[in-house]
Amino acid sequence: MAHPQPAQAPAEPAPLLHITGANKAYHGIPALVDASLTLRAGEVHALIGENGAGKSTLIKLMAGVLSADSIAMAVRGQPVNFREARDAFDAGLRFIHQELNAVPTLSVAENVFLNQRYPTRAGVFVHWRRLHRQTRDVLAQLGITHLAPGQIMARLSPGDQMLVKIASAFVDANPSASGERAAAIYVMDEPTAALSTAEAARLFEVIDRLRASGCAILYVTHRLDEIFQLADRVTVLRDGRVVDCVPIEGTTAAGLIRMMTGRDLQQVYPPRGPDVQVSERVLLDVQGLTTRAIHGVSFQLFENEILGVAGLSGAGRTELLRALIRADRVLAGTVALNGSALQARSPAEAWDQGMAYVPEERRSQGLVLSRSISDNITLPHLRHLARRGTFLNHARERRTSAEMSEAVRLKAEGVTQATWQLSGGNQQKTVFARAFARSPQILLLDEPTRGVDVGAKFDIYTLIRKINAQGTGIVMVSSDLPELIGMCDRILILRDGALVHTVQTEALTENELLTLCYGELSDDNQPASH
Amino acid sequence: MTTSPQATDDARSWRGGRVRWARLFRQFGTLIGFIVIVAFFSWQKPDTFMNVRNWMNITQQVSILGVVAATMTIVMVLNDFDLSVGTMASMVGIVAGTLLRDGYMLGVALALGLLVGAGGGLLNGVLVSYIRISPFVATLGTLTMFNGLALYISGGTTIFGRAIPTALSDFGRGGIYLGIVDGQRITLPYLTIITLVVLIVVWIVLEQTVFGRRLYAIGGNMEAARLGGVRVRMLRLMAFVISGMGAAIAGLMLVSRLASANPTQGDGLMLRAIAAVFLGMTMSEEGEPHVLATMLGVLILGVLANGLTQMQIDTYIQQILTGGIIVLAVTLSSLSRR
Repeated sequence: MAHPQPAQAPAEPAPLLHITGANKAYHGIPALVDASLTLRAGEVHALIGENGAGKSTLIKLMAGVLSADSIAMAVRGQPVNFREARDAFDAGLRFIHQELNAVPTLSVAENVFLNQRYPTRAGVFVHWRRLHRQTRDVLAQLGITHLAPGQIMARLSPGDQMLVKIASAFVDANPSASGERAAAIYVMDEPTAALSTAEAARLFEVIDRLRASGCAILYVTHRLDEIFQLADRVTVLRDGRVVDCVPIEGTTAAGLIRMMTGRDLQQVYPPRGPDVQVSERVLLDVQGLTTRAIHGVSFQLFENEILGVAGLSGAGRTELLRALIRADRVLAGTVALNGSALQARSPAEAWDQGMAYVPEERRSQGLVLSRSISDNITLPHLRHLARRGTFLNHARERRTSAEMSEAVRLKAEGVTQATWQLSGGNQQKTVFARAFARSPQILLLDEPTRGVDVGAKFDIYTLIRKINAQGTGIVMVSSDLPELIGMCDRILILRDGALVHTVQTEALTENELLTLCYGELSDDNQPASH
Repeated sequence: MTTSPQATDDARSWRGGRVRWARLFRQFGTLIGFIVIVAFFSWQKPDTFMNVRNWMNITQQVSILGVVAATMTIVMVLNDFDLSVGTMASMVGIVAGTLLRDGYMLGVALALGLLVGAGGGLLNGVLVSYIRISPFVATLGTLTMFNGLALYISGGTTIFGRAIPTALSDFGRGGIYLGIVDGQRITLPYLTIITLVVLIVVWIVLEQTVFGRRLYAIGGNMEAARLGGVRVRMLRLMAFVISGMGAAIAGLMLVSRLASANPTQGDGLMLRAIAAVFLGMTMSEEGEPHVLATMLGVLILGVLANGLTQMQIDTYIQQILTGGIIVLAVTLSSLSRR
């Protein structure tokens, strides 16, 4: 597990990258608090933390695509101030992002050199032969021999596309290749997410070689086994703060999970009403539900129950809700609502049969930002509010949306205010008001409190309890594990699109839940059930 | 995404007091421009421009454009386009003209013309909504098809003379007698009345029905509308059918007004209709099309054509000026939006 340390000059040189006092808040909600990070030459440094812990914010600050509220950053001991992505690039930082931001219509070679100047003839015409040769060299460096520089990106598998993107970060890894300063710091954000085991192994070899040549690699991942395989040190973030930075020797997976989840302040969740009991009556019966992203998911939801859905990103949580609201095509399986089969083929029909949905991204999926609060709340219910189902009844719409706004404690100038002007919390409350407006039988919630401040969070929890007490069954996806444990009766755990566990939340700890999400670890890293 | 609201906050705070003026200008700039144009022609042509008879004349001149622009507004509320409306109007005119020439009853010819429009719109709607071709490409294709069909059916010739019943041509020239003003006989043209009816129907559809509200929701955020229970595909299809029918009505109005059917007589309608909707969109805070604002755009185009012709400005120069004014209006509006 331990890696041989590469040969180092005896005198401790300045670290390749040194960050202290990094602070960043979004709309007053702190995302990073006094964070620090040191990358030494010749190390692989893992960065871990739960969703929302501040990992991506820290990376964005390093990349110069986000400006910090305050930060002190030095590269090789020299203070730097990244104002745009180019600054970070020129300082020798390279970023490999989880999402593919490749140009699918261009060739492999063009994508590899996307951020670089293409080799030219006479300074104007692309020197295609040299471009392809250099691309072949870079690919060969990574041990990739099955891809030709002229292949069109879109024709490649996602894994191969990821390899090309990774290769593009290594274009000037060889200082002799260009006059500019060579890259020295690689930041990799979940690079193996789309890779097969063999492809990942090849990437790990490259990482080893980079380490040996004195580069520093910041490796962000959710996969603990990779950390033990690769990393020299690990920095753990929690709630925007650095919990600790420790060498990998002497750490265990269980220890890391504890560091990620341990909380200073306990979030308070409103308790279930005393006379509200989960009944025996099955509200929703899902059997073998299958879409392109989920496979054969079966579960039951009881009256008055709040059912949580947990899993790592990409496990199929959002897709489960999308299948239920019929936003994605259902390939197989049945859904019965109140004992009769759900006959919906579109979200419109699902809403009409008593389902309601709060999507994950309120700005892109939830709201029509150009329209008013009232228009957004009434959208799925227009026919019921209209005269003879056709002609708008403006007064009734305003009355209903005012009532609903009141119920969700929405703070706005009035229901005619445009939703783009609202804060994140009030936008989310607007989406909630829409979902509640017709007392749905089933309420599907996807990340109901993401990006919402603490006060609004509590309002939303209270609201969930209230609607649940009226008999509505709730299925709730969240990456916030304490929230799931605090609010739900049972939790479904998804992994790779399949349902792998169903757990009662009573006496469930966050560590246990996170361990279930991660799945089996190799024996020596098994988080001890202490 | 997370930084954008902050950016707008900052922009708003440093702009400070200018905000109110900018908003005022944004909303009424096009209206002010219209008034300026009217004032200019009234000053230049005091006798012939600013009188009731000329204004009745203008409404008749823009009536056909008005119908196409009104139904085009419905499609553009969805952020889509229908480029095929011009050649569709030509083709419907040819279909109706051919039927009349062959001795069919007037009612049959008109009804079949409307049906052809609805069918063409349905084709556009299926291509855009169900087969998911971009509206630009799909309607560019059908534009060419309709053009070819019109030429093929007519053999490239104009249908005129006795083939067009006098009832139809009298309708295109006639109107309801209103009275005598300043010694001039004033009539409200029948074509203007048709346009007013279409305008009212489109206004009710867009502003007062569930259907219209959902169209605006789709135009604002298609994914959110779908997840929020809007049948996006069906509604987009219907919008194109309506646009096709608007083009058909315009095509029949052209036959009536010109007392002839020519395979290319409607072709110029499409660009002017889209221009009118864009002129109207400059008046909306959110950049949404609204049919009453579209009508102001139609009137601007009509008044420009009428006034410039009265000033005996060359038609080529007229085009340059009209195009320039459209670009200027949209530029000012987008600058004030920054």
